[in-house]
Amino acid sequence: MQDSLILLVVLPLLLAFLLPVIARYLGNLSGLTGSLLLLFNILLLANAWNSVGYSPKVILLGGFAAPLGIVFYIDKLNMLFAILTTIIALLLWPCRTHNTDVREYVLWLLLLAGCYGVILSGDLFNIYVFYELLAVASYGLVTLPATGASYIAGFRYLMISALGSAFALLGIALIYSFTGSVNIAHLAQIIPDHLHHIWGYSAALLLIIGFGVKAELFPVNFWVAEVYSHADKRVTALLAGVVSKIAVLIILRFIILLFPWQDIFNFLLLLGIIGVIVGEFAAFYAQDLLRLLAFSSIAQSGLVIIAFACATEAGIMAGIALAIHHLLLKPALFLLASHCDRSINDLAGLAKSSPWASALFVILALSLLGVPPLPGFWAKLLLLQSLMAEQYLLLLVLVLLATIVEAAYLFRLFMLFYQRQEMPEQKRITIQGQELYPVITLSGILLLGLFFLPLFMDSLREIAMQTSNIEAYINTVLGKVQHIGEGNI
Amino acid sequence: MSVLDLDHVFFLLIVNIGIAVLWGNRPFVGKILTLLYILEGLSILTSYHVLLSGAVLSSSLTFTVMQQTVQWQLGVSGGFFALITFMAAGLATWFSSGVWARSYAPIRLLHSYMALNVAAMLLLLASNDFLGLFIAWELVSLVSFLIIAINGGRSAKAAYSYILYAFLGAMAILLALIIIWNATNSFSYVEVRHHWSTMSVNRQLIVVLLLITGFGIKMAILPFHRWQAPAYAYVPAPVAAFLGAISSRMGLFALFIVLLQVVGIDVIQTLWLPFEIINMQTFLLWLAALTLIIPTFIALRQTDARLLLAWHGIGQGGFMLLGILSANALGTAGGIMHVFNHASYQAALFFAVFSVSYRTGTADLDRLGGLVTRMPISFTVMLVGIIGLAGLPPMNGFVSKWLIYKALLDEGMPLLFLAAVIGTLGTILSVYKLIHNTFLGQLRLEHENIKEVPWSMSIPMMILASIVFITGYFPGLLLESIAAMQSTLGISVVDYHLGGVNTGKGNLNMIVVVSTMLMAIGMGALIFFVLGNPRKQVTQWDNYAGGHFLTSDMRYQYSHNFYPGLMRVISPLYRNTIFWLESAIVSTVQFMAHISYALFMQANYLLYLILLVVISLLWVLAV
Repeated sequence: MQDSLILLVVLPLLLAFLLPVIARYLGNLSGLTGSLLLLFNILLLANAWNSVGYSPKVILLGGFAAPLGIVFYIDKLNMLFAILTTIIALLLWPCRTHNTDVREYVLWLLLLAGCYGVILSGDLFNIYVFYELLAVASYGLVTLPATGASYIAGFRYLMISALGSAFALLGIALIYSFTGSVNIAHLAQIIPDHLHHIWGYSAALLLIIGFGVKAELFPVNFWVAEVYSHADKRVTALLAGVVSKIAVLIILRFIILLFPWQDIFNFLLLLGIIGVIVGEFAAFYAQDLLRLLAFSSIAQSGLVIIAFACATEAGIMAGIALAIHHLLLKPALFLLASHCDRSINDLAGLAKSSPWASALFVILALSLLGVPPLPGFWAKLLLLQSLMAEQYLLLLVLVLLATIVEAAYLFRLFMLFYQRQEMPEQKRITIQGQELYPVITLSGILLLGLFFLPLFMDSLREIAMQTSNIEAYINTVLGKVQHIGEGNI
Repeated sequence: MSVLDLDHVFFLLIVNIGIAVLWGNRPFVGKILTLLYILEGLSILTSYHVLLSGAVLSSSLTFTVMQQTVQWQLGVSGGFFALITFMAAGLATWFSSGVWARSYAPIRLLHSYMALNVAAMLLLLASNDFLGLFIAWELVSLVSFLIIAINGGRSAKAAYSYILYAFLGAMAILLALIIIWNATNSFSYVEVRHHWSTMSVNRQLIVVLLLITGFGIKMAILPFHRWQAPAYAYVPAPVAAFLGAISSRMGLFALFIVLLQVVGIDVIQTLWLPFEIINMQTFLLWLAALTLIIPTFIALRQTDARLLLAWHGIGQGGFMLLGILSANALGTAGGIMHVFNHASYQAALFFAVFSVSYRTGTADLDRLGGLVTRMPISFTVMLVGIIGLAGLPPMNGFVSKWLIYKALLDEGMPLLFLAAVIGTLGTILSVYKLIHNTFLGQLRLEHENIKEVPWSMSIPMMILASIVFITGYFPGLLLESIAAMQSTLGISVVDYHLGGVNTGKGNLNMIVVVSTMLMAIGMGALIFFVLGNPRKQVTQWDNYAGGHFLTSDMRYQYSHNFYPGLMRVISPLYRNTIFWLESAIVSTVQFMAHISYALFMQANYLLYLILLVVISLLWVLAV
């Protein structure tokens, strides 16, 4: 049954190759095939969700056992992210715009194949390959508007991503040269004890920085504001919501399984909190809405990183909650903001011209801020609890102070929206139809999810427990009795 | 009596919000809303005897998360504050229900925000654990922000400054809650109180200070006092009365519950600030005393009547805190009683001031005067109100202040008593300035045709004024619920009777005091009117100065630069330190924001990054 999950990766790749041919016969309808594919993926995942249950499963590709063979690792966390990716992708699927180029569909499909691959892969090299696939597809998507600004942003993105990929590859090479393996489960047996020295640290930093590019990790996130404010809004929503969270997921796997060293946690905590502070401050200064949201997204990613870097069950739970919250919320905010790509001062009186959209924006932004009883509050509460459990008081204070800065710029925005002055007719901004429907779905999921809060928290705790169980991961992949030699150290 | 009485109130509040949102613009709706508020107040009042016996009104509003059951139920403390809230909201809506509404365009917003505020406040008052308290607290902050920002312009600016302060407070509370959770694994009051001592002394200290900061910001405790006066002054009349009466008391309620019920005053008394400089209780008492004195003397300088009253609201908050923290049956009784008293006279005073500005178009104390003959009802209400605010008999403010003075003396705190007296002195000086500059002296020429405000506005004022008098005459009416509150909290209970209190060393019986006063006044009036020489009525402009006749266009109203002698002495003390600090913080944030933004806008960022990597690689290789 679980083996069918491999279709998640295979089908988008297949369709991506076939789509140019299909488009010749179906024309504009070819976009629909993508939507159908995503629907099928959702069914697939929903079907597999229960059968995965409490014990993780593994798919052997090519029939060779790990650590020699390639594996897909499937547990609740991976499934959850796969499902959320599919849902968001379905909502953002560009098939309703009439003159969509077939190449755009192809890029989307490649991006999705990359996402699924990164989520499910159980070895470093495959993760790297799918990560590159995802990256290359996203370069293309970012430059789709074909404006000068989007090319420049895309170039910036390309450069920093290339640097990140080089780092990641270097890290993998280092690890391989020391251990002779790239299988994560196998490495999880070796690295924590036998590579606990400068080369292990170097590999860890290289991998974290390398994958941190997409995760909007602090020093390698300077592409974020440019790309998010100039790319197509659906692409932005996907990058900010889904792709960044998938990269964070990879980093989580690394620090739990491969590098469970306090120094690495501290390093991530440091980067995370700098990301939060710098992101919130930059958003405070930002003068257009999309940049503001981009910077706030940097800060939110920082929060997720901090939560994961606690490396406790509570921390993982908090991180997942924050990640899911941001994954559902940011796409909605970006879509709402998609018509407001000018100075925020032009938004004065937005509530007059589009009252529902502004109200929705305010509610979602309040959730971002963590105002109870909105979902964001509970995620933030979990984060604060896990920070406190580790006695990171200073971090706690900094996170809370950053929230005040966040409140400062968000409320400034709200007051602009609800200013009583009339917007000039020619500059009037309205938000309608096409953007509103995914937005309403996403905020519906978020707000209705509030009623299932206790249930949700319980399953999150379960997932966090499963994720932090290193033994289970190793045993699942390598088999319970089988103990592979310690490699050629 | 049904157990789920609180559900009725919540239901009525939802109806209230619905009506206000849907039909807030209609002319009759203000009266319906007033009736609803009265009904809500009555539905609590009818089951008040249940509360007095120590039971609670429970609601079906509940949820469970993180193994914590959050539920809302109203105890006697919450009930007392809820009654004040409904009184303030009902009378404020009444005030705005008639002619006044026609002069105010966004009346629907006003009604809706008011209803939302009342609902959020009730949620806060009925909260039963830290999680529920925090949720309600944030809701109250948000809806207060809405209602403060209602006028746009200046008031929106004040609201922005308020919400930033409120978030600072909320974050402080959240931090305290997290520390508490870490130590006790619970949010419920009982559990936290039970496991309080598992926290280290330093943690206890931090938590208490954070809670004081967080809840204190709402009542504008020093040094967080700057936001409140502009926020409460530049709003329409009913909102000002409502906010001034009860809104900032939510902070006091939370502090009262948390400090007395959860932490316990005995813990506060044994906590010391670092290096044993000062005891926590003494520290807080002095903080309260400064909150009383400094805003009161800032109020003395104001030339806008609304700002003057708003600043006094902050100062009187300090008075309440002084009483509550004195850890004395009389003191806590006085502090809580002052909440009610302050709500009643402050609302009355705001109504009077706004009635004047409704007719004359200004609340500037330099541009008024002599209105007593034109607006006698407003004058009487203001007179009653300022006697209450100044804490003089026979009004209710006297009783609560007397209790607090007495408690401070009994507890052996003469310096704090002195501080309280200095605060009262400042109050008396500035309320005299208020009534003199508004109603006494020479009538301005442009105010010749001013009329009294219509009944829809004057009746709520008169009701408030009579409440101020009656609760001053029979303080036992309030002391009954205060005694019940004290016994449910497990602190020493005040020994009261209808006329006042019994203390070991002497009694206060307001019935005797007031009756004597009234008799004396009656006697004086009898002598003056019956036995005195015949009098001659003259017009208000029949004035002489230095033997010269003063015509009406010659201004002879002494209002600008009131108390010059006093001001010459104390004006060097006004240093605007907090203003300076506030702008320093704002500048720092802007500076940091600019730097962070510039960091992301670097053109050669990648180059720097690679350089950094190369250097760190070299460093790694060197090590």
